[in-house]
Order: sequence, then structure tokens, then C-alpha cells
Amino acid sequence: MKFGNLLIAGVVTGSIYAVFAVCIAVWYRVSNILNLAVGDFAMVGALGVDYLFRVDSWPLPAAIATTLAIVGAFAYGYDQVVLRLAQDGRRRQEGIVITFFFTFALSFFIDGVAKILFGTDVHAAPGLWNGNSLTFATGLHLERAGLLVLGCALISGLMFAIYIRYTLSGKAMEACGENNLGARIVGIDTRQYRRIIFVGTAMLAAVFGIVESPITGYTFLSGATISVTGFIAAAYGGFQKPGRALVAGIAIGILEALLGGYVSTQYADTLMYGILAALVLARPRAMGFESAVGG
Amino acid sequence: MVTSKVTPAAGVRARPARSRSLRGPLGTSGLVVAAGLIVMSFYAAQYIGSVVLLAFTYAIVTAGMAVQIGFSQQIAFSQSVFMGLGAYGVAVLNTNLNMPSLLAALAVTVASGLVALVLGSVVTRASGLALAVATIMLPLIAVGYLSSAGYLGGSVGMPLTGSLWPASSPQAMAVGNGMITVAVIGVVVFVASRILSSDIGLELYVLGVDERMAAAMGVSTPRRKLELFVLGSMFAALGGAVYAGTQLFVPATLVDPTAELSLLMMLFIGGRRSILGAVAGALIIEYVSGASTWVSVNILVVEGVLITVVLLVDPEGLAGIVSSLAARLRRARRAGGAAADGGPAPACTGHASAGTGSAVAGVTPEEVAAADRRTSAFGRSWQARAGGRAGAPLLECTGVTKDYGGLRVLDSIGLSLPARGLFGLCGPNGAGKTTLLGVIGGSVPPVAGRVLLDGADITRLPPQQRFHLGVSRTFQAVHLIAGRSVLDNVAVSCLSSHRSSLAAGIVRSRLAQARDKAAEALDYLGMGRLSGMEVSTLTLENQRMVEFARAIAARPRLLLLDEPASGLSEPQRERLKEVLRTVGDMTCVLLVEHDLGLVAQITERIFVLASGQLVFEGSPEEFRNSAVVSSLLVGL
Repeated sequence: MKFGNLLIAGVVTGSIYAVFAVCIAVWYRVSNILNLAVGDFAMVGALGVDYLFRVDSWPLPAAIATTLAIVGAFAYGYDQVVLRLAQDGRRRQEGIVITFFFTFALSFFIDGVAKILFGTDVHAAPGLWNGNSLTFATGLHLERAGLLVLGCALISGLMFAIYIRYTLSGKAMEACGENNLGARIVGIDTRQYRRIIFVGTAMLAAVFGIVESPITGYTFLSGATISVTGFIAAAYGGFQKPGRALVAGIAIGILEALLGGYVSTQYADTLMYGILAALVLARPRAMGFESAVGG
Repeated sequence: MVTSKVTPAAGVRARPARSRSLRGPLGTSGLVVAAGLIVMSFYAAQYIGSVVLLAFTYAIVTAGMAVQIGFSQQIAFSQSVFMGLGAYGVAVLNTNLNMPSLLAALAVTVASGLVALVLGSVVTRASGLALAVATIMLPLIAVGYLSSAGYLGGSVGMPLTGSLWPASSPQAMAVGNGMITVAVIGVVVFVASRILSSDIGLELYVLGVDERMAAAMGVSTPRRKLELFVLGSMFAALGGAVYAGTQLFVPATLVDPTAELSLLMMLFIGGRRSILGAVAGALIIEYVSGASTWVSVNILVVEGVLITVVLLVDPEGLAGIVSSLAARLRRARRAGGAAADGGPAPACTGHASAGTGSAVAGVTPEEVAAADRRTSAFGRSWQARAGGRAGAPLLECTGVTKDYGGLRVLDSIGLSLPARGLFGLCGPNGAGKTTLLGVIGGSVPPVAGRVLLDGADITRLPPQQRFHLGVSRTFQAVHLIAGRSVLDNVAVSCLSSHRSSLAAGIVRSRLAQARDKAAEALDYLGMGRLSGMEVSTLTLENQRMVEFARAIAARPRLLLLDEPASGLSEPQRERLKEVLRTVGDMTCVLLVEHDLGLVAQITERIFVLASGQLVFEGSPEEFRNSAVVSSLLVGL
């Protein structure tokens, strides 16, 4: 039973990692930028809703809608101002390293603003589906919030898969990822896709922050941790392949839960990072790194 | 014989001033030390003094990062961990063993070097993003371990009592600590800038631009990557040790990923490729965060905005902004001066002073003679090397086979080339020509078969070792090092530093010799006047010729050329033909080319590949009349 419960917990956490990893991978394909601020949007979603609902006593739906709108508007503005200047100008394309730092800086900025607005305490958005955890006959437990997380992950994943597979604009987005210049030559506005997906993933991240925060609770610094785990999971998919990023995210979640359950709660994270580092070094090619390095 | 093809006047170039290579690093570190001494003498015990002290502590770390991460592009997120190693090491040695902090700092730095050597030999096997991902785990592991194990003060940190300069009065202690820190930063800046301006610095630059190209130019990339990791880690540990010895407290937050990010922020704001920039970045961030309470509380917002703005203006950070401003100023002044003289400024002065730079116009007979001397010296030294065993083939491939997945790209290829002459390799697109060049050059490992050079089996040798044996190549797409001059691009293949350690770069630089050799090759091709120009400003023909010069500058015994004529116009092809004929007298050239006319005109033997198989081998005469060739390549 312990194993089953750990597995469930692992899949729930893992699906969060997976969603962020997919967000990072999809946008990287289109824009060639790694978005290390994706977790910070989740943090803003959670803490923003909490603030509006608890402190300003807004009705919950209004609080959620407003927070999402703010996140979307901010992401749009950031793309219009910073990314446009950084990528669309005359300057030659800088390597992956420089564009790293734009999103690093964005992450710093969001965290700093969140600290001013929300303080440094642990908060969470109110639970959307309250009640006892669901128990199955065999003794397996599942938090309601966890089920919500899984549901959201499944729905957004399915919608995205359908979008890619069956719509023309999904194909166009794929084209941006395959060959940016080629896509532009055949008349696809890659900048528009960069913008749409940046705003889309920011809002999606915020949704997941709202849904997930009742389980773990967030501070203004939580975003960085989520981003790093998402980044690592995406890295194992070679950054280019959202499918592999998804699998890697879930695998990392399960690994973390199992290590915490069977080996040591204290050292679960330390051990997990150790194992992940060893994997990268032992089998870089199999882990999908060579393709991302561009060599 | 050769000189007749070289326009003597065009072959003249001014030599770079040799004394520069020493004046640079000394000047840089002198500047930092002088500024530091002034601050420490007058303000050590005041608030501003403590801010500058802390900034210098971080600058020790960021100077190493400029070499490792900025200049050589080896992104390792391990600095904060080694900074922690240095700081905790000093704290433990001082508290538990009563060791003086200064001694402890030295001991810990050396020990960290050893740790970095062991860790680095594992970690630096990865490159690019894999290296970044593998090392980003290190701070995560370290902080997790510290906070959960409760060692060394757990999640809070560890105090210590012994400062670097133990003194009874706080004033004297502050001044003493300040002076020691200034001395350390002076040494660090000198070492770092000395390495960057040496021949090894050029190796590192190429490594940063393209690891595979570096290997093809003879750079032992695994060794350099390890050395860089050790250097960056030792600087970080030294910075940590100074931190512990001056702040007298080691916070656990020193090792966490946020600390790592702040260090990177300092580096990128200052300018990732510049040592002075890295120091300035640390100063700016520390000064800004100490300037007001509002800023120190909201440092995240300030740093976020600051780095965004700086990188938007110039990806090379403040150092880039300053240097492009200075360049603009110089150009404005020169334009003003030239207008006063009534003559146009020479376009490509480079290292030269304005007088000799306008090469073609006012060349003295001595200069022409010097260029001629260099040209013939080049030819002689090349012919001396090309020797080889009489009668025996230079290159022999037997049964070379390569699969990509299930696709057989090369199927049991056998060919043999003598020590001199021009040989063509033709075939339709996808026939496996470039792959075969890769197998011979060492960048593509074959699944079966052997490659012999001068009778010795080189099948398993990495590209850099084959380069040392005399195998040199060009790439299908032009691979040049943007941001460097033509001379430096060619000098890359003339470096004799491949076998010396990174530390040797501190002691001596043989960059000037490499540049001399490169100049000989450029003069030989009549390209001396281009040597000072930045490569990305050149035309495609000249870029291809620079790549060609780079390939021959090492005086190779086997020259592999991948489509040297593609993208060139008819007159340009004529010139290329002339050059190739000359080079074919000196060495063995294998030429992959789609221009069949060109191949048939200049080569003595032609190989044709189709779908991974060698379908034709013969003289140009047979090539013209072959039915196989016609059906394959001409479509008749």
C-alpha cells in the first residue's frame, strides 16, 4: 500500500513538473529561449489569488480571473518590450546563454515584485475542491487537489496534442520549431507564435499554481524551485521534445516520492539531484543532451 | 616559383606590437590594485570600505567565471559550491584547529583545486547544456545536504573568530583585511587576463565558439575543459576563503542556487568576456545593494531590471558598452584627423599604425622584401615537412564503413593517396563525401575499416591528434571565429601550446610566434593586407580563403577541402584553381567539389562516390569519358 500511495503522490508532483517541462520545451522550440521564469508565473497565480481572495476579500472566481488576466497582460507586455528588442532587431542571434539571462532576470524581477506585494510568508490559493482525501477500497489515498492537478494536466496535455496534430496553426507552430527561418520564408509569423505560446504558457503555469498550491503552499521564492525542476525535466527531453519532457517530469516526481518514502525524507532531494547528475554524465546521448547542444 | 603568384605589395602587413601582450594584463591588474589600495587606505573602516571589500571578494570569483564561463563558454553552475567549500574550509580549520585564517585560506584553495580535479574529470566529460544541467545539481545537493544534515551550522551558517589579518583594533584589522583582499584580487586579475591574452587564450576562445572546430584545429578539448573547471573552482574557493576571513561568518545561503545566480548576474552585467568587466560587475551589484535600504530590500527587482537593460543594450555587458563607445570615439577622432590631413583613412589598419596600414599605396622596398622572405620561408618549411616515405602511400583507407541508424552511408570504401598531388572526390548529394572526409579527419568514427596515415593506424585517434600528425581540413559551411581578426583566425592552427598546461599561459605566451606563422601563410596566399580585419566583415570569397589559409598555415601533409568553390564566382574560381595547383605541389590534397569542370581540370585522380559506394576511380581523362560518371553526375 505504501508503494501505491507513494506512486500516486509521485505522479501528482510529477505531473506538475511535467507540465512546466512541457511549457519550457514547447516555447524553446518556437523561440529558442529557455523560459526559466515559468515557475514564477505559477507562484504569482497562487499568491495573487490568495491575496485578492483572503486580504482584499474578492469573490474567488473574480480573484482567479483577475490574476490570470494580469499574468497574461504582463507576459504580453514583456514579449512586446523586452523579447522584441532582444530577438527581432538587427542584432545577430545570440547563443542560448544570453537568452537564458533574460528569463533569469525576469524571474528575479517577478520574485522581487512578489516579495513587495505578498510578503515572505507561506500562502496558498484557497482549495477549489475541498473535502477529505479520496480513499479507494485498497487503502490508496488521493488528495482532491491532487486529482484536480492530474485532471488539469490531462486536459491541457490533450488539448495541446490535438492542437498540434489536427489544426493548421498547430502545424505552423511545429514548423517554427523545426526551422525558424524556413517557417518565416513560407509566411509563418514566428514572432506571433513566440508571443502566443509565451503568454499561453505563463497563464497555464498560473493555473497550475492556483490548483497545486493548496497541497504544498508557496512563498515568493517557490517559483525558482519549480522552474529549476521543470528545466531539468525539459533538459532530459533535449529541450526540443515536449513528449520526452513530459515523461521525464513524471519520472522525476515518482523518483522523488520513492526516495522520500523508502530511503530518507531528509535526503530525498539531495539523493534525487545526485542521481539526475549521474544520469546526465553517464549517458548524455541517451538522455537527449547531444541534440540540444547543437553539435 | 610561388612568389610570382603573390602580389608583393599586397603581401605586406605590419606586425603587431609584441610588448602589448604583457602590458595588458599588468595594466589591468595594476588598475584594480591601485583603485583598491586607495579605497582601503582611506575608507577601510567605513561603510563604503566594507562594501568594496565584499565586492572584491565576489570579484575574485567572477574573474575566474569570466575565463571559464564567459570567454570559454563552459557553463558550469558550480561556483557557489566551491565558494562555500573555501569559506567553510577556512571556518573549520580556524575554529577547530586554530589555524591562522590566511594559512587556512591557502590550504583550502589548494585542496579545492584537488577536489575540482576529481569532480571535474567526471563532470567535464559533458559539454554544453549537459554540463550546465549536471553542475546545476551541485548547489542543489550542497544546500540540501547542509540544511538537512545540520553540520557546519546547518541552515544558518557558521561563525569563526580569526580574520585574515588578526589585529587588536578593528581599524587595523579592517585595513589589513582590505589590503590582503586587494592583493588577492590583483593576482587573480593578472593571472586571468594573462591567460586570456596568451596563445592558450586563443585556444579557449575557439573552444568557446565551437568545440568541434577547436578539436579539428588541434586543441585538446577534454584537457582544456578540465583545466578551466579547476581554475574556475580554485578562484571560487579563494573568494570563499577571503569571504570567511573578512566577514567572520559563513552563511549557508552562500552555496545555494540563488548565490550562484547572483554571481552570474555580476558577470553578465559587467561583461562576460572581460576580466575588468567581471570585477566591475561585482562592484556595481554590491554598491547598488549597499546604496540604500530600499534597494537592498528589493535587490531582486533592481537586479532583474538592471541585467535586462544592460543585455538589451549590449550582450557583452558594460565592458561591451564601454568598448564600443571607445571605438566610436576613436573612429570619430580618426575621421577628424584624416579630414585635416586631406587623405582618406585606411580601411584595414588593424594592428598597424595608420602609416604602414595603407599597404598598397606607400610600401617601402624593405617591407616587400620582408614579405617575400616570409613567403619563401613558408614554402620551404612546408616542403620540408611534407616529405613522407618515398613510393609508399600517405593515406590509405580500407573497408571504411559508416552507418547512421539503419542507413549505410559509407560501404567498405578503400582509397589510397600519395604524398603529393591534387585528388578529387565527387558524387551526387548524399553520396557520403563529407562523411568520408569526417572519417579521415577524425570527427566521424567509422563502424568498420581502417584509416592509415603514413603506414600508422589512426582510425581511433581524435581529431586534435590527427591534426598534430598533419591532417588539416576546411568545412563545407564557413567556420570562422567571429569577433577575431583574420590573423588570429589563421593563427589558431599555428599554436604550439596544445600540449602545455593552462598554467603555462600565465608564464609565457607564444601568441606572437603563432601570429608570425599565420602571417607567413597569409603572405603566401597574397592576403597579408586582410590580416587586421575582423572576419565577419569579409566577403564570402575572402572568408573561404581565410579558412583555406588556416588549413594550410599548419603546413599539413594531408589537406581535406570540403567544397571550397561553392558560392564563388567564375573569376574567383579561377583564382582558387591557381592556388590549389600551387598547393598540390607541396602536399596531398583531397578535394570534395561539385564543380566537375574544376575537378577535372586540376586533379590528377578522381574518386566518385554514389550511395556510399566507390563507383569510379581514374584519371580526369577517364572521368570525362566514363559512362558511369555521366549517368550519375551529368544526368546523360
